[in-house]
Amino acid sequence: MKTPAMHEFPPLMAALGAEPLTDHMPDTLAGCYISDLLSDVLAHAEPGMVWLTIQIHRNVVSVAATKDITAILFTCGRRPEPDIIAEAEEEGIALLTTPLTTYEAAGKLWEAGLQGEHADE
Amino acid sequence: MHLAPASLLDADAGDARKISVAQVLVYELRVRDAMSKPPITAAPTDSLRTIQELMKSRRISGVPITRDGLLLGIVSIEDIINALDHGYINEPAETHMARNVVSLRDHFSLLRAVAEFDRREFGRFPVVDGNDHLVGIITRGDITTCLMQHLERRAEEAIAQEATLRAGQATDGAVDQVVVRAHVRTGDYDSAGKVSQRMRQVLRDRGVAPEIRRRAAVVAYEAETNIIIHSLGGEIIATIDPDKVVIEAIDVGPGIGDVDQAMQEGWSTAGRLPRELGFGAGMGLPNIKRCSDVLEIVSDGQKGTRLRSEIRIRKPGATT
Repeated sequence: MKTPAMHEFPPLMAALGAEPLTDHMPDTLAGCYISDLLSDVLAHAEPGMVWLTIQIHRNVVSVAATKDITAILFTCGRRPEPDIIAEAEEEGIALLTTPLTTYEAAGKLWEAGLQGEHADE
Repeated sequence: MHLAPASLLDADAGDARKISVAQVLVYELRVRDAMSKPPITAAPTDSLRTIQELMKSRRISGVPITRDGLLLGIVSIEDIINALDHGYINEPAETHMARNVVSLRDHFSLLRAVAEFDRREFGRFPVVDGNDHLVGIITRGDITTCLMQHLERRAEEAIAQEATLRAGQATDGAVDQVVVRAHVRTGDYDSAGKVSQRMRQVLRDRGVAPEIRRRAAVVAYEAETNIIIHSLGGEIIATIDPDKVVIEAIDVGPGIGDVDQAMQEGWSTAGRLPRELGFGAGMGLPNIKRCSDVLEIVSDGQKGTRLRSEIRIRKPGATT
């Protein structure tokens, strides 16, 4: 099993200018995965990651919970319904939104140091 | 940030990639598991004198002030000393209590609670539920006690299991078996993941390794969404035994035309709506296969599909 390098969450989100939607915010991230296909996320995302997507229906919270994903960042200014935010809060998953496109948001996260390296590589 | 719990509890200096039991516990246990409850509280109209007596008789140094269960403020021993000093000990709590109290949610992980204790240097936090109702009080001592109790329980379980194995007794599966089942309706995308969620909770409570939990959760989630997207309705049953999880997905049709083709990544017959929701990537069955130790799919064009996936639970430390 790979032990991911941990990245501090607050500076990454500050670099992005993302708006938090949940009270709960993590301290660290293990990396990032980007996909709008749920099965793809189930197959390839790793626990502790932030997931960038434009999908805002409640299945994203179920998928994130299934994979122990730490945070979901909705791009293109999308924001889920309040009951979905409440559900994420209950599951301990942080939700954020940004007006940036997925590509732009990913670029900023990469520049801020979230480059997906692993500690044992 | 400083990973206080890791440094605090990481006694395993051996394989750095191995996560210690205490580290897993600090992630998995919630504030609600460790807090003292029910909390000892006072009303806003109670005098500071009454609260002083409450502190003395219950041997506590802070009393939350609540109305109808909602947290309004807190009175600490320092507040009482000030009240005695300045002669307002007989006045009601609400005129002198600290407001805007920092509280923790009952579903927060203990990891997060420890981080809050480090950050704020408070001796205690009131704990509130999702409706802002006060449900308990947590101190660092509560966290330590909770971790010690769980570690002790894990150790006892491990010793008991070892004794069972040594005696050559087969584990009686029926005793520890939990079955989670639910009917799944066609097109009910909003309910996807219900069985998966309940199953994950059972596995978490049993201390099953996160990697195995996630594999079982992926199988249950994909199997459930398959029924929602592709079938005329069905049922999903997760049978959890000490040594394995068996997930069965049974639907009433119309069946998979070509199972081999459906097992190929990218092949999908999903319609427009599920695809817009992010389903129908053609990865469901391949994901299930990847996460299963044993997988059987029987599909009949008339009667429907019966999927059975088995995920073995290996005890931590057992040879793989």
